[in-house]
This record gives sequence, structure tokens and C-alpha cells, in this order.
Amino acid sequence: MSSVARVGSEARTAWWSFLRRRTAVFFTFGFPLILVAIFGAVVQTNPTGSGLFGHPTGYYVPGYLAIIVLFTPLTRIGSSIARYREGNRFEKLSTTPATPAEWLAAHTLVNVGIILLASAVVLGVLELLTDWSVALSPLLLPFVVFAVVVFCGLGAVLGRVADSQDGVVAASNAVALPLVFLSETFVAPAMLPAWFRPAIGLSPLTYFARGVRNVTYLHESGLSELLVLALLAAVFFGLGTYAIPQYD
Amino acid sequence: MAAAVTADSLSKRYGDTVALDGISLTVDTGEVFALVGPNGAGKTTLVRSLTGTTTPHSGSVEVLGTTPERTDKESIGLLPQSFQPPERLTARELLTYYAGLYDESRPVDDVLADVGLETVDDTWYTNLSGGQQRRVCVGITLVNDPDLLFLDEPTTGIDPAGRQSLWSLVADLSSRGTTVFLTTHYMEEAETLADRVALMEDGSVVEVGPPETLVETYGGGTHLQVETTRNAPDVASLDVDAEPTEDGLRVPDVSPEDIGTVVDTLDRQGVEYESLTWTEPSLEDVYLRLAGDGIGGEDGDTDGPAVEAVTAGSEQR
Repeated sequence: MSSVARVGSEARTAWWSFLRRRTAVFFTFGFPLILVAIFGAVVQTNPTGSGLFGHPTGYYVPGYLAIIVLFTPLTRIGSSIARYREGNRFEKLSTTPATPAEWLAAHTLVNVGIILLASAVVLGVLELLTDWSVALSPLLLPFVVFAVVVFCGLGAVLGRVADSQDGVVAASNAVALPLVFLSETFVAPAMLPAWFRPAIGLSPLTYFARGVRNVTYLHESGLSELLVLALLAAVFFGLGTYAIPQYD
Repeated sequence: MAAAVTADSLSKRYGDTVALDGISLTVDTGEVFALVGPNGAGKTTLVRSLTGTTTPHSGSVEVLGTTPERTDKESIGLLPQSFQPPERLTARELLTYYAGLYDESRPVDDVLADVGLETVDDTWYTNLSGGQQRRVCVGITLVNDPDLLFLDEPTTGIDPAGRQSLWSLVADLSSRGTTVFLTTHYMEEAETLADRVALMEDGSVVEVGPPETLVETYGGGTHLQVETTRNAPDVASLDVDAEPTEDGLRVPDVSPEDIGTVVDTLDRQGVEYESLTWTEPSLEDVYLRLAGDGIGGEDGDTDGPAVEAVTAGSEQR
């Protein structure tokens, strides 16, 4: 019970801290919207032709969502860790009953909330600006939650490795950009060299994109992808917990 | 009296730098213990060793009867050096946040009253003055009503009024029985607050004791500093026992009653002076004597010993 209370206290603090940084709020929601506006409404898809956007809009919905579940946790958790280190907050926390797992759980919870909101906004804008009609599945929720857990854990590792907020942003971009294009999000595997295709399976984002596409576009079961993503979530949460500085 | 903290032969290195060099000390329950030394002396490393946030390479630590790792975290409080809490939260929200990390905590209103922030409780941390921010930080360490409180340079970077306010707070905590382990590079702070002081230099404790005992033992006597206008007099020709200094001369062992006699003597002998300053020995004198120079704040402010200026002016014959 006290562990739940500690997670709640940390999560409330993280939530209010986020809401009071206006630029963070703006870009958290603005970045995916800009992407949707550019690729969904300006470039548009071309289902009968060829090229990068050769499928109907629905095919790319997992890609738009993948951008949110990937970039936001990576940069937010990494930056939070850098900020906490700079202010000696982890040193303080390590002398309280709060544990690294509780800290990561609280910040993951906040990211889940932010990303669910951002996802809803993106889906709404896609509905408005493109020919796509919302096709939701109840499995979408666990997919988003598990993916956020994965990338919060990875963000914690980056936060540990990078020694500043600038370093975290650079490291996040270096990790996220290849992942976002090589995880069956916007680029279909058929467009990649045959020798590279097995590597797609190494990206956690692949299971998110495949699973979400299965349940929202292909209307197939996404349970196997969900299971893999759940396992990866457990692994990355453990890695993230281990990476959170206990100071020195 | 039972020891709240015991450190035995603590050593810690960072590469070639010796941060702690076989330090042993004890802090009694209910005592205010000040660790004094310049930046880089090893004060923060010692605090981290005692709070379990770093592991010494050798030696042992006991805090509240057990190792730092096993200490009941509900019973200790720490204000880390240069601590910065989330800045876009109000003082009340910050105290509520940290109170929420403990199983048992004090009412936030009580803590706000203790640190004198009742009227600015809804102001964001970032909009508070430096002194108020520091009081929020100290308040954060008090939310769990700790038996043992570590304050690592709590007054660095705040104005004199803010410093005085924190001193009152620490004195109040001490009167309520809280054990306080304080680090500072302000001698006056240690002299004012501490029951015992440890003087630290280059990772070693040079001397430990009550400040008044240290001053009595190592501080030397009172003296009168005479800043002469020009042409420092030949001290050998004077009828007072004086030593030449860069600015004039120094007359040692002058009691307040003897100041007039010394001044009359100097006047009679034609010594022209800009100012006279009578000085009592202080902890700074003790430190300088035992550990050499190097003490001082990051801005070069030594924050001075207890100096009492008696006379200032010049006299022309």
C-alpha cells in the first residue's frame, strides 16, 4: 500500500511538472500532429501507385502511433533522469523509502497518460484530415501501454549513459530515428534489402507496429505480438530500474 | 550518550584523488556536529559515505545502530549539496510530494510553519528568493520528522538574512533533540551552531572538539590590529610588544581594558594610523593554524570570525 502511495506521489509531481512546462506540452502533442499533417494530409497516400506511401492511410496508422510511443518516453524519461541527477534529486530519493522501480513506475504511468492522450488526438486528426475511418480495437490499449513501458525503460538506460539533457536528446534521436523507419512502421519490409529483413525482428517497435496493424487494419489477431511486447516490457522495465542512478 | 553516527577508518579515492583518508569520528545523539573545511576537503564524500549514497573503499560506518544501507529511512533526513527540487511546484506541493514518500509524515502546514513559509506556500519554487528556496529544501528534509538530519552546505549561496533564518531553524531542531550533522565552509556557522566541530582538510580530520575549546586551545590570544597611514614605525622602538604586518602592526594579547593604554602609547610615540581593530581568536584562526590556508567560500568569502571593531579613524599629532 505504501509503495502505491509513493508511486502516486511521484506520479502526481511528474504530471504537474510536465503540465507546467508549456513548451514541453506543446511539442509533445504538436510533433505527431505536424507529422500527420505532412504525411497524412499534404503528401497523402497513394494506394494504387508505388513509392513510400503506396498503401492506404490505415496501413500507416501504427507508424504515426509508433512515433508517439517511441520518441516521447525516450526523451522524457532520459531528460528527467538528467534533470534529477543535475539537481542531486536521486541522492535525496535514495535516502527516502522510495525505490528506483517505484520512480520508474510513476514516470511510466505519467507517460502512459500523456501518450494515450496524444494518440487520441492523432487518431482524431487522422479521421478529420484523411480518408481513414477510426477502427479501434480493445487490444490497442495494452499495445500502447506495453510499448510505453519498453521505451521508458530504454529512456532510463539512455538517461544513465548520457551525462546531460543535451546528451539525452542526441542519444534519443540517434536511437529513435533508425527504429522508426526500420520497424515496419512506414517502410514495408518488401522495400528493404532481403539481408536486412531479419534485423527488423530485433526492434521492439516492430511488434508494436505489426500488432497494431493486425488489430486495426488487417483485422487479425495481434496476440502473439502483444505477448512478445509484454515480455519485452518486463525486460526493459528491469533494465531501466537497474539503470536509474542510486548515486555514485 | 549513545552515538548516532560512528565512522571508523573511512577511506575513499576517486582515481588519484584521495577524498577520505582514514577518517574516524562519532556523533552523539542530540548533538549538532559541524564538519568544516574548504571546497574539495572531502566533506560531501563523507556525508555520502554516512548516508549510504557512496561506498567507501575501506572502513566502516554505523548510523542509528546499523549500516547506512540498513538504516530505517523513515528516521533520517538529507539535504544534499546543491539540491534542486522540481522548480515548477509550489512550496506546499513540494513538501506534500516528499511527505508522500514516507509511511509516516508530519502535517505539511506544520513544516511550512517551521521553515517560515506559510505566506508563500502557493508560490512556485522557481519564483522564491534564494533564502526561501533553501528553506523549502530544509523543509523537505523535515517532512518525516527525522531523528538524524544531514545538511550538506545548507547555507551556501544564500544571503545573510536567509542564513540567519536557517541557523534559527537548526538551533530549534537541536533543542527538540534532533541530531544534526552539518557541513559548511563558513566558520561562523559552525561556531554558532555546533556542539562539536571537526576541521577537515585533504580528506582528513585535523581536529575535533567543541568550538570554544578549539579556540581556547589553538586560537591564540586577542590582538589589536593597527593599520598605519604611512611609514610603518619601527616596532622595536615602541613601548608596546608589537609585531610588524603588511598594513602596519599587530599588538598581541590585548584585553579590552588595555586598548586605551596601547592607543595612548602609540599616540605618544607618534604612530599615525588609519584604523584600530581589536580581534578575538576564532575558529578560523584555529583552522588556519592547524590546517594552513585554503579555507574560504567559493566566492572567496571566509565569512569572518567574530571580529569586533573597537576604533576606526586617524589621529594626527
